[in-house]
Amino acid sequence: MRMITSGLRRVLLLAGALTLVVTATAANAADPPHAQQFHEEPAILSTLLVDRLEHRWKDGENTLDWDIKGFIGGDTDKLWLNAKGSKPVEGGAEKAEFQLLYSRLVSEFWDVQVGVRHDVRPQPQTTYAVAGFQGLAPYFFDVNAQAFLSEDGALSARLEAEYDLLITQRLILQPVAEMNVSARRVRELDLGRGITDIELGLRLRYEVAREFAPYIGVNWERKLGETADITRRHGEDASAVSFVTGVRFWF
Amino acid sequence: MNTASRGLSRRDALKLAGLAGLAGVVTLYPERRAFATAHQTLDLAVERTRLTIDGATSHGIAIGGSIPAPTLRWREGQEVVVHVTNRLDEPTSIHWHGLLLQGVMDGAPGFNGYQPIMPGDTYTYRFQLRQAGTYWYHSHSAGQEQEGMYGAIVIQPAEREPVRADRDYVVVLSDHTPERPASVLRKLKLGSVSEGYYNRSKRTLFDFFRDAERDGLDATVRNRLDWGDMLMEPTDLADVTGYSFLVNGKGPQDNWTALFKPGERVRLRIINASAMTIFDVRIPGLPMTVVAADGQNVVPVKIDEFRFGVGETYDVLVLPQEDKAFTIFAEPIDRTGFARATLAPREGMSGDLPARRPRTILTMADMGMDHGSMAGMDHGSMAGMNHGAMPGMDHSSMPGMKQGPMAGMDHGSMKGMDHSAMMGMGAGSMPGMDHSTMAGMDHGTMAGMEQGAAKGSDRALGWADAATPPGTKALSYADLRAFSKTRDPREPTQEIVVRLTGMMSRYIWTLNGAKFDQGTPIRVAYGDRIRIRFVNETMMAHPMHLHGMFVELENGQKDRLPKKHVVLVPPGQTTSVQLTANEPGEWPFHCHLLYHMASGMMTRFIVERRTASL
Amino acid sequence: MRLNIRTLTAASLVTGIALLTVPGLALAGAGEPGHGHAAAVGEPAKASSAKRVVQVELGDNYYKPESISVKAGETVRFVLKNKGDFLHEFNIGTATMHAAHQKEMAMMVEHGMLTPTGINTSMNGMDHSKMGMAEMKHDDPNSVLVGPGETKELTWKFTKETALEFACNMPGHYESGMVGKVAFTR
Repeated sequence: MRMITSGLRRVLLLAGALTLVVTATAANAADPPHAQQFHEEPAILSTLLVDRLEHRWKDGENTLDWDIKGFIGGDTDKLWLNAKGSKPVEGGAEKAEFQLLYSRLVSEFWDVQVGVRHDVRPQPQTTYAVAGFQGLAPYFFDVNAQAFLSEDGALSARLEAEYDLLITQRLILQPVAEMNVSARRVRELDLGRGITDIELGLRLRYEVAREFAPYIGVNWERKLGETADITRRHGEDASAVSFVTGVRFWF
Repeated sequence: MNTASRGLSRRDALKLAGLAGLAGVVTLYPERRAFATAHQTLDLAVERTRLTIDGATSHGIAIGGSIPAPTLRWREGQEVVVHVTNRLDEPTSIHWHGLLLQGVMDGAPGFNGYQPIMPGDTYTYRFQLRQAGTYWYHSHSAGQEQEGMYGAIVIQPAEREPVRADRDYVVVLSDHTPERPASVLRKLKLGSVSEGYYNRSKRTLFDFFRDAERDGLDATVRNRLDWGDMLMEPTDLADVTGYSFLVNGKGPQDNWTALFKPGERVRLRIINASAMTIFDVRIPGLPMTVVAADGQNVVPVKIDEFRFGVGETYDVLVLPQEDKAFTIFAEPIDRTGFARATLAPREGMSGDLPARRPRTILTMADMGMDHGSMAGMDHGSMAGMNHGAMPGMDHSSMPGMKQGPMAGMDHGSMKGMDHSAMMGMGAGSMPGMDHSTMAGMDHGTMAGMEQGAAKGSDRALGWADAATPPGTKALSYADLRAFSKTRDPREPTQEIVVRLTGMMSRYIWTLNGAKFDQGTPIRVAYGDRIRIRFVNETMMAHPMHLHGMFVELENGQKDRLPKKHVVLVPPGQTTSVQLTANEPGEWPFHCHLLYHMASGMMTRFIVERRTASL
Repeated sequence: MRLNIRTLTAASLVTGIALLTVPGLALAGAGEPGHGHAAAVGEPAKASSAKRVVQVELGDNYYKPESISVKAGETVRFVLKNKGDFLHEFNIGTATMHAAHQKEMAMMVEHGMLTPTGINTSMNGMDHSKMGMAEMKHDDPNSVLVGPGETKELTWKFTKETALEFACNMPGHYESGMVGKVAFTR
């Protein structure tokens, strides 16, 4: 089985690379020659957002967590690269996920995204096909919904939502919620069926500049259902509260 | 990381390649005949420079060695020749804003066969001046206009001026940022990552509590939900902040000063050469008489202030009688600063700075919504205006108010008007109302009809509310009457609807939903009388500029529609203009907010010989 | 120091006298009952009593000539020809009188009695009393309204030398420079 999947993985990565090329070309082609003569609009935009880079203090082991996103592309077509993960302060990564997504504007507030996700950790490394949408829901909720199909054919999904509440122009309170669902049990990854876990966070950041904001906050993770049982069987807690400090910045 | 500069160099390469093929076309063009007959010849170099504003030095681009560029003083009927040399390391261009000329001389790259001036090259413009008045010139390439490439043009009429002045000054308003334009545009376009980058006046939790206390919790929650439902920010008045606002290249502390002797008649030719800034302009203590709009003479109208769209010009006369300094004060509509200059009897004086006006909050009406709450205010119910019932109404403050169309206004029946439902009613934001029939009704006095302004001018509601104090007069488009009668009285035979559209949060601005050169160009037959109806579907005002021809604003002035080259279309409103398509060519037609144009808010307006398809 | 104070006292005395005198003059000019204005401005006269005729062209928005020379005591018959498209006024008075008259004219235009191109005859029946404008009529003896294409006359006796202007007080016209100086020669 694994042999086949490594082949599949290679195919998926190739598809990702192809997407990159297609996107770049499309973004270029989108700018007609006349426009270039006096539009200063750059043919290609790119940015890198380190949305969360934080130290989490919790019972037991402290961790370093990250959530980084970047894109390159034009108004309509973009290529997103996302990285997300966690590692104990001392030691190697426990979770490390990368996504390469082709993203297309479908309305003022929504992008549809397809691509690949590859988890380097936890072991065994797993590759997924990804389909989802990202955007701004009414009342200014940033929403990211993704469905994953693993190389082993396991279907799962993730829903993230966040909201920026301005206390002042610079002091911003950000509640975040994340929920993961799995369609079936994935023994290798200690995942049960149904809702596997939820995570709620509340971060208070101060925008020293728009581009740079340190923050403090709390984060609560809770494994649910079968997944929680599996975790407990390993002798670990199904829930964890942590106090976080970190920075958000972008270029 | 700097994709913009990479983009530019790539474009340069493309253009260089293209130029080899096109150079022949340009030199063959009939405008490049012998130059011996020219009345005026002038050399202008475009080069990088440094400018110091209120003591802070930053980079800019100068035409003819200065920012703003030298004022070009010409005479109607003259043939002028201008050699423009590009000393930048990027292509450039100069567009003669408001001048009637042959397409290739208009200076908009990619139109009418005009090509940008490449680094090191010199391009020779040559045209005959077919008009008089105040105009301006600026770069039509990249963000160079924002960097300082703008200057005034003053053309003396061949015949007698309809106005007489003892002194004549050019007042160029502009906005300057130390940021490179490409960087500004990038921040605007990064979407969710940089959301609202330049808006430092978003509504906060504190605003919520304040509003809840004032308007009640219910109303405040409903208001927030309404805006949230549309994903709009009612504080979105300007896209870019961080600007210094300049008068003739000088900051508020530099205080550009013009001299007068008490009793003299001073003509100010005021030009809004900003990249992005719509101003409210006033000279406290000194009424202004507007005598020209966009270079074209208008029947004089006396006002205290005017709203000033990007690209527009107004010539005003002032008659200072006292031996004191007066302040020319221009506040951007988002009130993030001010431009200031002084009119003084002697050098070194400075006038008082007036109190800053409040920043308005947009309303649902600015979105073209909220028709419901205006239901009671249709024209029908305004029948039989009863002057007796209006004791508090100061007629002197309503000079522009026309007796005719308003004759039927019944203020009595307006008593039942629910003021709470009018919370959102800005002075000019009355979408259910036909503005054309309200010719001349000035916004200042209308502001008094609304709760916020009634309390004083500490709060403003709606895009059009400049917080004009009661008893003073703000210019309204309806006040503008052309000095000469319309030359072409035909009814338009073709109506073109131009929807002003965009995706604000993505910073993609469009006309009829299409970015530049992705939509269909507008085609009209040479000689036809055309009506253009601008339907602003966005919540920002757009100063719409047509190259090559004046449009005549349909403001109710019948046979004296004022001629304009820029028409400021308020958010959520419809404005219509007429024109005679008598200048053949392929003309740029765009929003004059620089970053809107750069983001796609532009199209081609093609005037061609009548064919079967037209 | 003492010298300074003395100089100051002297200066303020002079200023005081000047201040007393100037409003006095202004009062004499503007304070006269009705529209008769002060004798200093002069008075209307019969056309036959004029020894001199001055042709004045009224244009949009200017006078030709831009200044007129008269002698104190002289009676002048002005022939006023409007070559423009707009309604114009020929009004002899002081700058202060003109400023006051501009407000009246502005109100007449607002209420439609005057339009930029002429006099609205249909407004004659309008009951102005309701508007508190009982006296809103353009019938000043020192002024005449000349419609586009019309030629009208005004005969005026300049009784004594004073600072006078002939002006058009249609809204915006004075501001645009439609005003000329009456220069007294000896």
